[in-house]
Amino acid sequence: MTCRPRCGSDMGLIVKTSARAIIPLIGIFGAYIVMHGHLTPGGGFQGGATIAGAGILFLVSFGLDEMKKHYNKSLYSALEGIGGLVFLGAAMLGMGVAFFYNILWHNGPFFNGKPGTLLSAGFLPIMNLAVGLKVFTGLISALTAIALYRRWKS
Amino acid sequence: MKRTLAYLSLFFILGVLLYIANPNYGLVFGPGGKEWLSLRYTDNYYITHGLKEVGGMNIVTDIVFDYRGYDTIGEATVLFTAIAGAIALLRPWRGDES
Amino acid sequence: MIQFQFITAFLLIVLGIYAFLAKRNLIKLILALDIIDSGIHLLLISLGYRIELNEVPTAPIYTGYETLKSPMVGPLPQALVLTSIVIGVCVLSLAIALTINAYRHYGTLDVRALRRLRG
Repeated sequence: MTCRPRCGSDMGLIVKTSARAIIPLIGIFGAYIVMHGHLTPGGGFQGGATIAGAGILFLVSFGLDEMKKHYNKSLYSALEGIGGLVFLGAAMLGMGVAFFYNILWHNGPFFNGKPGTLLSAGFLPIMNLAVGLKVFTGLISALTAIALYRRWKS
Repeated sequence: MKRTLAYLSLFFILGVLLYIANPNYGLVFGPGGKEWLSLRYTDNYYITHGLKEVGGMNIVTDIVFDYRGYDTIGEATVLFTAIAGAIALLRPWRGDES
Repeated sequence: MIQFQFITAFLLIVLGIYAFLAKRNLIKLILALDIIDSGIHLLLISLGYRIELNEVPTAPIYTGYETLKSPMVGPLPQALVLTSIVIGVCVLSLAIALTINAYRHYGTLDVRALRRLRG
C-alpha cells in the first residue's frame, strides 16, 4: 500500500483557489434548503447532504493534513447526539394528547403564524434543523474515518 | 448445474415482471379523474387536508415529519447506528502497531 | 400502449440481481446493491403519477399555486422513497467499511478466497 504524492498533500493551486471560492456558497445554499423546508422543496435530509458536499470538497482539495487541523472528533460526535435528542424532544412536546401531536401549531405561543411565512407549521422547522445537523456531522465523520484509515500517526 | 438453474430462474422472474407491466391486467400508469379518487384516496386526503391540519405548504415534508413521523424516527436511528458501526470498524485494533 | 417507466425499473432490478450472482470482485457486488436500490426507487416514484385531460400535473407544493391551478401529483410515494434513499446510503457505508477490513486481512478482493472461516 504505497502512497504516491497525493495522499496527505493537496491538489495544486488552481483546484485550491476554486475550492476557496465555492465552499461558502455551497454552505449558504445548503442552509437555505434546510431552513425553508416547510415552504419549498427540500427539508432536513436533502440540506444536510448538500452541506456535507461542501465538507467533502474541502477534504479532497486541501488534503488530509489540512483536514486534521480543523476536525475535532469529540465535537462532531457530540453534535450528532444532540441532533437526535432535539428531534426526539420536539416530538415529545405534545405528550399530553398523543405522542407526535403538533401542539405548537394548534395552541402554542411561538410557531403559529399564517401558513406561508417562515415561523409557521408547528415543530417542523425545529425538526428540520435537528435532522440537518445530524446528517451533516454523521456523513463527514464517516468519510474522514475512511480517509484516516491506518494513517493515524503520519 | 447450479449456475444454469440460477440464470433460468432469473429469466423466469424477468418474464413474470414483464407480464405485470401490461396495462390490461397489471399495473396501471397514471390514473386520472374518477379512477384517481377511487384508487388513490390517501393521496387525495393528504393534498386537501394537509395545509389546514399541519400548516406547512410543502406536502411532502408534512407527510415525512407529521403524518408519518414514526418512520422518520426509525430512519434517524438507522442512520445513527450505521455511522457508529462504520466508524467503530475503522479504528486501530489491538495487535496493530504498524 | 407500452409503459416504459415500469419496464426500465424491472430491467434495472433484474440487472442488479444478475450482477450480484455472477461477479467475483467485492466492489462489484457493492455496486450491484446500489443498482437494485435505484430500480426500486424508480418503480415506487412512477406509481404516483397522474394523467388528466388538457392539464399538466405539477408538484405537491402550495407555494406559488395561485397562478398555476393544476392538479397535483400524489405525495406519498415521494415521502417513502426519501426514507429509502437514506437507508441505502447507510447500508453502503457499512459494506465499504467491512470490505476495507477484509482486504487488509486477506490481501485479496476475491469472494471465493473468503470462504473458510479462520480464527
